[in-house]
Amino acid sequence: MKGKRIAAAFLSLVMAAGLAACGGGGAGSSAGSQAAPNSQAASSSAGSTAKKLTIWAWDDTFNVKAANEAKAAYAKIDPDVSVNVVSMAQNDIVAKLNTAFESGNVDGMPNIVLIEDYRIQNYLKSYPDALSDLSDVTKPEKFMAYKLKTMTQDGKVYGVPFDSGVACVFYRTDLIQKAGYKDADMQDLTWDKFIEIGKAVKAKTGKAMLSVDPSDLGLIRMMMQSAGKWYVDASGKADIAGNAALKEALTIYKKMQTEGITVTASGWDAGVAAVNGAKVATAVNGCWYASSIKKASDQSGKWAVASFPKMTNVANSVNATNCGGASWYVIDKVPGKDTAKDFLSKTFASDTALLDSLCKDISLVSTYQDAVSGQNVGAPDAFFSNQPIYKNWIEWTKKIPAVNYGTSTYDIESKMTEAVQSIVKGASVDDTLKNTQTEVEGILSAAG
Amino acid sequence: MNQTAVAEKEKRPVPRAGEGPGGTGRHTLGTRLNRWGWAFALLSIVLISIFVFAPMVGALVMSFQTGKGVNAHFGGLTNYARLFSDRTVATALSNTLIYLVVQVPIMLILALILSVILNDRNLKGRTFFRVAIFLPCITSLVSYSLIMKNIFSNDGIFNQMLIHTGLPPILWTTDAFWARILIIIAITWRWTGYNMIFYLSGMQGIEPSIYEAAEIDGANAVTKFTRITVPLLKPVILFTTITSTIGTLQLFDEVQNITQGGPANGTVTISQYIYNLCFKYTPNFGYACAVAFIVVVLILLLSMVQMKVGGKENQ
Repeated sequence: MKGKRIAAAFLSLVMAAGLAACGGGGAGSSAGSQAAPNSQAASSSAGSTAKKLTIWAWDDTFNVKAANEAKAAYAKIDPDVSVNVVSMAQNDIVAKLNTAFESGNVDGMPNIVLIEDYRIQNYLKSYPDALSDLSDVTKPEKFMAYKLKTMTQDGKVYGVPFDSGVACVFYRTDLIQKAGYKDADMQDLTWDKFIEIGKAVKAKTGKAMLSVDPSDLGLIRMMMQSAGKWYVDASGKADIAGNAALKEALTIYKKMQTEGITVTASGWDAGVAAVNGAKVATAVNGCWYASSIKKASDQSGKWAVASFPKMTNVANSVNATNCGGASWYVIDKVPGKDTAKDFLSKTFASDTALLDSLCKDISLVSTYQDAVSGQNVGAPDAFFSNQPIYKNWIEWTKKIPAVNYGTSTYDIESKMTEAVQSIVKGASVDDTLKNTQTEVEGILSAAG
Repeated sequence: MNQTAVAEKEKRPVPRAGEGPGGTGRHTLGTRLNRWGWAFALLSIVLISIFVFAPMVGALVMSFQTGKGVNAHFGGLTNYARLFSDRTVATALSNTLIYLVVQVPIMLILALILSVILNDRNLKGRTFFRVAIFLPCITSLVSYSLIMKNIFSNDGIFNQMLIHTGLPPILWTTDAFWARILIIIAITWRWTGYNMIFYLSGMQGIEPSIYEAAEIDGANAVTKFTRITVPLLKPVILFTTITSTIGTLQLFDEVQNITQGGPANGTVTISQYIYNLCFKYTPNFGYACAVAFIVVVLILLLSMVQMKVGGKENQ
């Protein structure tokens, strides 16, 4: 009996050890897999034989393609560096950045990451050492000022500006003509005129003028910025209740819905599907949206581009604004920082030939000053009725009013979507905005 | 051959605990077993402390911190105070409660009815139906959500069918009311079979003679269901109610994948709001932890209520 008991004890000990080993092994292996890209990066910092860089971006038709072209260009400069471009949904990139920066553990993070301009202020303020100072890579005089402003903190430049988010009206020339309007009518629009044309389009062709996503207020953001306003003011304080531009934007937004010229689409893919599926006559968005419109190759030659409509009832509103746009950043603690800086400085921060071919391939409107004179920039685009679209975009980019995006654009936007829905359903604009102001102040004070 | 072997085995004296030569008395053995028991339990106690309790305490501490990133500092009850003025918390809570109050009863009653039907020995092909109804719950949450999103999108199959039959399409994903209905349809489809399996196995434990006696006394199907099946299944029903309630309070995958909480937070749940605060917006982990503790309090309260209603004598 005694022997048996000892045997049993021994066996159970072995089992327990096995269990512990299992647990430990599991943790170890998962850490191992997470560290994999990092160990590649680590070898690059060693700087001897195989140097590796990882880049994260999110749009396969746009910035991922750009990263891949930069990779090809850099391969000619330094063939020893193998660059790995990873395409990942922007939400996932943001989630991973948030976790990595908050925990201070950058295992598995890329060397170079694309971050949207709306979000960068938060990262720079909340995690000052997370991103590398790229002042020696990005020459301020070479880039457009409104873009640089978003990534400058205490006189240091933390990113390499990538695309302009200059907004415009993409419109179907055939549908507009069917509605009884000419291309000339589409130039330098006001929103009143836009709605008037929209009603004619709806009546004559049965198609909607525009698709709207109740959870995405890009349109309202664009309208606000066209008047030099944002959810926050220049000092970063909530600017909702007394914001005349926001109020007018909401009024226009509501009017478009009540006039029945919009169709609702939930999410990005549904919005693109509405455009590619010829359900709408226009798309009002950043110029980067062109690559998505071009996916419907059967519609080539039927599209044209016009400047962003202005708001007649707001004094400072101009026919130019911005939507989105992003820039490249280097994560400081990921080994291989110097290779990453070298990569950026020799591609996106200086290579005009690369930027010019990107202009042709992905309709990139670069914010690099010298790229403005590239030969593809003046070229007509067959898809857009042979318009010199890049030249137009660059002209409009220069007129974009600069605003302070603050640290919490998307937190605020989430509150705003609720406000917009209740306003569309008939609630008073003033009362709703007053309530939202209080909530946004709560968000901003918590940001400390 | 076999029978004799068994018989021989039975003749052999079986040593019992405390009677064998090694047994030195009940008391000592008891404590010794006790010690071993604790040794076994210790392993799980240590593991659960490290991986569950420690993070819980960490979260509680974190919920008192305000500010983001390097600016985080002790802020007392600031986060908890903000909960009361944050309307998204209210929206998320009310959405979660709508799912809870509407979906859980529908699902459980449906599961109960289905299990009664499928427990009928005379039903042909009942194995097939059991498998068919159970099958949804082995599909991955994300993939089924994406399929639901596809079917019910504004120009999806379901709306195409409506249009072809001459009915107006329903704006499933862009109208808050219908989006909530869609979420309820989705989770009911996914989880009804899961709960049905508990009821079915519970019914296997009910003595058939009880039903026979009831039949002799002239009870009809409804009476048998309400007077025999439901009371005898009470512990199982209580169990499924509690697990479904907890599951609904933690609802995340479906909403995240089908509507992303939209339109305009119309379907957002508490779990999703916590996720958004951490990973979608400017990260604010302190406030997210404070919101998470609402869920803890809610689950505690609701489970206590259900235990009271379910009655303790049945456990």
